Amino acid sequence: MRHCRIESLGISLPRRHFPRWGSIRHAVEAGRQCLKASQHRKEAVGLVVNAGVHRDRHICEPAMAVFIQHRLGINIEFQKRSTLAFDLLNGGCGMLDAAQVVSSLLQGGEIAAGLVVASETNPDRHPDPRFAYPASGAALLLDLSPWRGSGFGAFSFHTRDDYADLYTSLVSLAEKRGRIVMQRQAELEDIYLSMAGAVVEDVLTRDGLRRQEIDFVVPAQISAGFLARLPAASGFPGNKIVNLAERLPDTLSTSLFLAWKLALAGRRPLPGQKALLLACGSGVTVAAATYRF
Amino acid sequence: MSDALPAAAIPAGNIRIESLGVYLPETILTMEELLASCRRRPRWDLERITGIHERRVAVGEYAVDLGIHAAKQALAMSRYRAEELDVIVCTSISKYNRENEFHLEPATAVRIRTAIGAGNARVFDVVNACAGMFTGIYVLQGMIRSGMARCGLVVSGEQNLPLAETAARELRHSFDGQLAALTLGDGGAALVLDRSPDPHFGFQHIDLVTGAKHDHYCYSRPSRRGPGGILVTKARGLQRKGNEHFPAYFKRALDASGWTLDDLQHIVPHQVSVRAIENGVKAVSRHLGAALPDITRCSADHYGNTSTTSHFLAIHDAILQRRIRNGHHAMLVSGASGIVIAHATYRFDDLPQRYRERFAGVY
Repeated sequence: MRHCRIESLGISLPRRHFPRWGSIRHAVEAGRQCLKASQHRKEAVGLVVNAGVHRDRHICEPAMAVFIQHRLGINIEFQKRSTLAFDLLNGGCGMLDAAQVVSSLLQGGEIAAGLVVASETNPDRHPDPRFAYPASGAALLLDLSPWRGSGFGAFSFHTRDDYADLYTSLVSLAEKRGRIVMQRQAELEDIYLSMAGAVVEDVLTRDGLRRQEIDFVVPAQISAGFLARLPAASGFPGNKIVNLAERLPDTLSTSLFLAWKLALAGRRPLPGQKALLLACGSGVTVAAATYRF
Repeated sequence: MSDALPAAAIPAGNIRIESLGVYLPETILTMEELLASCRRRPRWDLERITGIHERRVAVGEYAVDLGIHAAKQALAMSRYRAEELDVIVCTSISKYNRENEFHLEPATAVRIRTAIGAGNARVFDVVNACAGMFTGIYVLQGMIRSGMARCGLVVSGEQNLPLAETAARELRHSFDGQLAALTLGDGGAALVLDRSPDPHFGFQHIDLVTGAKHDHYCYSRPSRRGPGGILVTKARGLQRKGNEHFPAYFKRALDASGWTLDDLQHIVPHQVSVRAIENGVKAVSRHLGAALPDITRCSADHYGNTSTTSHFLAIHDAILQRRIRNGHHAMLVSGASGIVIAHATYRFDDLPQRYRERFAGVY
């Protein structure tokens, strides 16, 4: 069976001196890079999925993916080649969810290539001080790998809905223009860490892998404290875990693939190397996926 | 958590609606009552123009509650128990858990999972304006076909009254962009989907396309003039553009299913308004060069436009009225802001009969 692979990856890092760059701008910048590095023509992209949570002007209709599709110029008119665009929301795990959805549609032959984008922003004039995510964007172009065995392996998503109230984000419509109100309890990271071990075990079992066979682990860059405690919680040695806490703040939905891109910058993994992706988000959900290069 | 099955063990096949649940709030708000609440009443006879007489509105409950009620209804008729669901996809546009609070995290599907006790379900939200439930079906179809899930729930609860109330407060003139918000209604719908044991039944073809060039015709965001959200629609342009393009996709969906117009017993359009549906029928007739028989199912007159859930409220009505019967063929048509054009061809198994039996004596 051919697996879904990341054919190209584009990112738009937080830009301190460009405060007006909103979610669409970041997503489009990441998408442009991604399409530029891809061997596919943009007309071949049959699906655009946006997994970002917070959006420009708090728009809730149409899907933000539509604006991103429009600005990237992917089959924007009703014509022979067509593209579907929609949003998928699942907090910090959204991009992994979207990757699995695209993977299922690729394997079913519904599409030849799919673009997963995510971006974050806070458009409020007086932002909630608890909202700490700088604006950023990430984009993945996914297709079926031409090489047997390479690409995404198993996915695993564990949700503990009894902790759902530990992390909430909402747009308050009580004031004009809306305003993001965020609540993030201190024990959230403990819950992430307590779930990480079981999720890692589950995804490795599904893929028939042992921890020693994983060459590196890319986690969401939640915080320096989280990353310091992750080796003990996940069972991987610290030198296998990508830790960019000093360079990269938590960027919510984009965090996983910003870390992936920066960790791989300038080096190409050898064929056969294996990575494990670990995302954490509201729900509370911890998700993992294996990836073979 | 979903147990992935080996893809090779499961042949590709049709996905069917194993169970259907809808929820309609009890309170009825007539068009006249809504128009009377407008600070500046539009001079149009909106009831005559749209054909919408009344709609259901949620009082004391929120969008997530409507979704939960619909999900419970669907599970009550399903062969699956809540804990057997592998995936829950919530497709609501309105994500109200409390008054004036539009929830982004956690996903609404998490709240629904908790409420129905689907402890093994993988959850996420899909948002694609009024084509949300279609998109959820498309996503879940992919997951079931590829073996990532055995069965799942696509659910939506739409509480649109806050948009109508903002419009009633903020309408400035009779051509105001928020006028279309006065056509909205509330409701919930949920579908349990699984693989059809007989490939002759279930979804034969699902086709969704986004013409992103036309993303400016309809949008929703918080108001800049006060509390609440607004829905701004260039209704004429949206309808004109939609009617220009969707008949070709309608024909394509028929052809892809190997059906002709004569095979169809039902057309279930997105319930924008009675007038818009009539215009859509005319556009298809023009494109096909033949008059459509009277097979278009409409519930907009008494439910209004319930956005993502509208098709399934119309199907609920048509089943209980004994119009939709076992073995019937239906074409579901959706148009949504984006512009998204969606078509699905569906052949009913014994769902209509089971649905009527469940409601025997209730309606």
